[in-house]
Amino acid sequence: MGSRGWKHTQRWIAILYVALLVAWPVLLVFWNTFADGLEPIIETFTDPYVLNALRLTAVAAFWSVLLNTLFGVTVSILLVRYEFPGKRLLNALVDLPLSVSPIVVGLSIVLVYSTTGGLFGEPLERAGIQVLFSTPAIVLATTFVALPLVIREVVPVLQEVGTDQEQAARSLGANTVQTFRRITLPAIRWGLTYGVVLCLARSIGEFGAVKVVSGNLIGRTQTATLMVEQLYYDFDQEKAFAIASLLALISIITIIAVSLLRTRAEAKEPS
Amino acid sequence: MTLAPVTTTRRPSTKGRRVVPRSTLTKGSGLALGIAVLWFSILVLIPLAVVVGTALAGGLPQFWNTLTNPQTLAAILLTLGEAGLVTALNVVMGTIIAFVLVRDSFPGRRLLEIIIDVPFALPTIVAGLVLLGLYGPRSPIGIDVANTRSAVFLAFAFVTLPFVVRAVQPVLQELDPEVEQAARSLGASGRQTLFRVVLPALAPAIAAGAALSFARAVSEYGSLVLISGNLALRTEVTSVRILTYIEGGQGAQAAAVATVILIVALIVIVALDLLQRRIARRG
Amino acid sequence: MSIEIEGINKSFGSFVALENIDLSIPTGKLTALLGPSGGGKSTLLRIIAGLETADSGRVLIEGVDATKLPPQKRNVGFVFQHYAAFKHMTVAKNVAFGLEIRKRPKDEIRERVDELLALVHLSQFSHRLPSQLSGGQRQRMALARALAVEPTVLLLDEPFGALDAQVRKELRTWLRRLHDEVHVTTVFVTHDQEEALEVADDIVVISQGRVEQIGSPDEVYDHPVNPFVMKFLGPTTLFDGSIVRPHDVDVFSSSVAGAVPLKAREVQRVGHEVRLTAGPVAEGDTTTVVLTRAHYDELGVKAGDDVWLRLAPGASAVEPDPTAPEPDPSEDPLGESVVSPG
Repeated sequence: MGSRGWKHTQRWIAILYVALLVAWPVLLVFWNTFADGLEPIIETFTDPYVLNALRLTAVAAFWSVLLNTLFGVTVSILLVRYEFPGKRLLNALVDLPLSVSPIVVGLSIVLVYSTTGGLFGEPLERAGIQVLFSTPAIVLATTFVALPLVIREVVPVLQEVGTDQEQAARSLGANTVQTFRRITLPAIRWGLTYGVVLCLARSIGEFGAVKVVSGNLIGRTQTATLMVEQLYYDFDQEKAFAIASLLALISIITIIAVSLLRTRAEAKEPS
Repeated sequence: MTLAPVTTTRRPSTKGRRVVPRSTLTKGSGLALGIAVLWFSILVLIPLAVVVGTALAGGLPQFWNTLTNPQTLAAILLTLGEAGLVTALNVVMGTIIAFVLVRDSFPGRRLLEIIIDVPFALPTIVAGLVLLGLYGPRSPIGIDVANTRSAVFLAFAFVTLPFVVRAVQPVLQELDPEVEQAARSLGASGRQTLFRVVLPALAPAIAAGAALSFARAVSEYGSLVLISGNLALRTEVTSVRILTYIEGGQGAQAAAVATVILIVALIVIVALDLLQRRIARRG
Repeated sequence: MSIEIEGINKSFGSFVALENIDLSIPTGKLTALLGPSGGGKSTLLRIIAGLETADSGRVLIEGVDATKLPPQKRNVGFVFQHYAAFKHMTVAKNVAFGLEIRKRPKDEIRERVDELLALVHLSQFSHRLPSQLSGGQRQRMALARALAVEPTVLLLDEPFGALDAQVRKELRTWLRRLHDEVHVTTVFVTHDQEEALEVADDIVVISQGRVEQIGSPDEVYDHPVNPFVMKFLGPTTLFDGSIVRPHDVDVFSSSVAGAVPLKAREVQRVGHEVRLTAGPVAEGDTTTVVLTRAHYDELGVKAGDDVWLRLAPGASAVEPDPTAPEPDPSEDPLGESVVSPG
């Protein structure tokens, strides 16, 4: 009858593992950031290069979230409410960005948008549009890696909600847009919110793909994550830690927000 | 956060097959599908296809030479090996953690749940700094794994922590307690019930989490960059190798190694799809 | 006696599920625990199985004090309302489970599984998964699984509750026949009085955590000890200040000795029977009588006519108890209790 003893052991194994792997290291980063007082931190966030990097991250994240939300909601509805040839394939492919290395993502964008021999790159260059080593490439890379996140959150919710309400709305005379706006969208709002929040976190945090496509030019094409790496290599640890802490803080707030939203959603709609 | 396999397939009905129509698209939805697929192709499919194309365009001999280059081969083997070990660790730890989250209750359990999701949301470069702080040269507890294989293992373990846990958790939650009671009433002890009834029921979810965990580890870059030292033949992973080729202007070689990784990703996706069907079939 | 229950008490927080239950379950018989939902019968069954622990009292199985024993040591077979099938195992593996746990030799297991599958008519499904079976088939599998280990006692918790009416009726008869073949002491929980009356050798009526009456189907139906039991077991109506069965009231179109003169208020044809509601001329409680069509046609009365009602000789009549709880009307979807207020 060691089941009670084992339960205790399990609990402590889990706690210790997570504490040593995640909790302690993360806390240490915050500790190191504030170890030398507030001055270095203020210095960091008044540095124009840093601010530029943060701005670039914000722009990329904005477009990524916008495009992926539009795409995500559309594809989710198509996958759940309709039948069409190749549906199963699309469903599987949509998960692709989650399993692909960010470096490979970057490589693929470089190959396609290269001005010498790139499938899209050459014609775009002739049209005077620069993609690589500039903001558009960063947006593309960020959008690529965060693509599946909205879909994975919305699809299960759509499935659970079912078509009854939508059919009722149709029978009462609502057209597609009205049904979507008044019935479908409110029904999926919590799943959609989680998805958007996760997409945002992922977009802010993207590193490898952006490194490849941006050329990593200081002050011009550096995102916050790239800046962290560069500052660390330049032995400017304080600044690196400051930015890292900010990014860590944002992602942790994201998770807490998701967690709270989930509890809210479950409390409101008991199954 | 949903890491459980997402299924959009119908369950096979036992009393006569329900006819699934070939297509229920309307004009509007058909157009939407067309635009969505076009966008998806431009953003994802075509670039990835170009990678494979570039790899093969250099000719098969060059493809093969790239892969068997000692440094590249070492990187591939290191990556697959460490990813495999970490996945095995995750299968055990992830399942244990899921059990603790679902079947145990203690003050701070909520906090544990939140911490588990941190690696999923944290920027990878920040993860690298995070690990470097406690397990690098300036470690306050004297553990320094920088520039060793263990650093690779550690980074992989960090970023893949949530995958098995989150895949198993919902399934464990939904498990019918009466099934375990049935096993008890038939004479099974707690341990027997766990191994003969509960774990087999969780197996597809564990496998799905393991697949995602493996794929994630194999693709990892940012968290390794600072702590592993990227030492050729020792602690260099495939992502770093590809980047080296890119920075050296060797597009075809980079594409070759990338193609290998893509194949791994595709295998994972196929495996996940098959697992979804398995779960659906069991009902 | 197979099972002795002594002084069992069980509460969930402030809710008293069982209060001082004393009961003996006869060996080899089919006993029904009958009562409304939430009355405590499932709780009692689970306490016998060891799936719940009582707050106080004892459970003896075959003379052995089983109160502190875990379920796996009690050798009781349990069948759940929602089957509790092992979804990842085939039908054959499900049935074999208990034997494999006991480490019986493979040949013995195979033989026994074949025997049981034949008994429950599932032989051709032995390699299927539970998800490929219908509800009724799954429940038969669950029964075979429980019987495989030759339990001392077989316990069934609303076994047919999740099935359609038609399947439920079939399985009811089938369970009775199975019991006649196998003779294991069986206890089953149900809220369906028709089921209990049809299948059981003995009925224990339980409500609000207390035993109301124990007896054979005839006993509890014809000689209920209180209004609750009477109302729960079958339709009732109020007549001459007592609660009686609607078909125990004789109707006459002219005066006879001992009959009460009333006015026919309403006549309702329901299938093959006729429900005649009669009451005093002034305001007062009405009585609803159930007659056969033939008898009604013979009488020739209609609404507004004078009728004379008399209780049939030997029929049971129970004093209404104003403080007793009413059976929940939602448990009586066919409206079989044609009770009028009182």
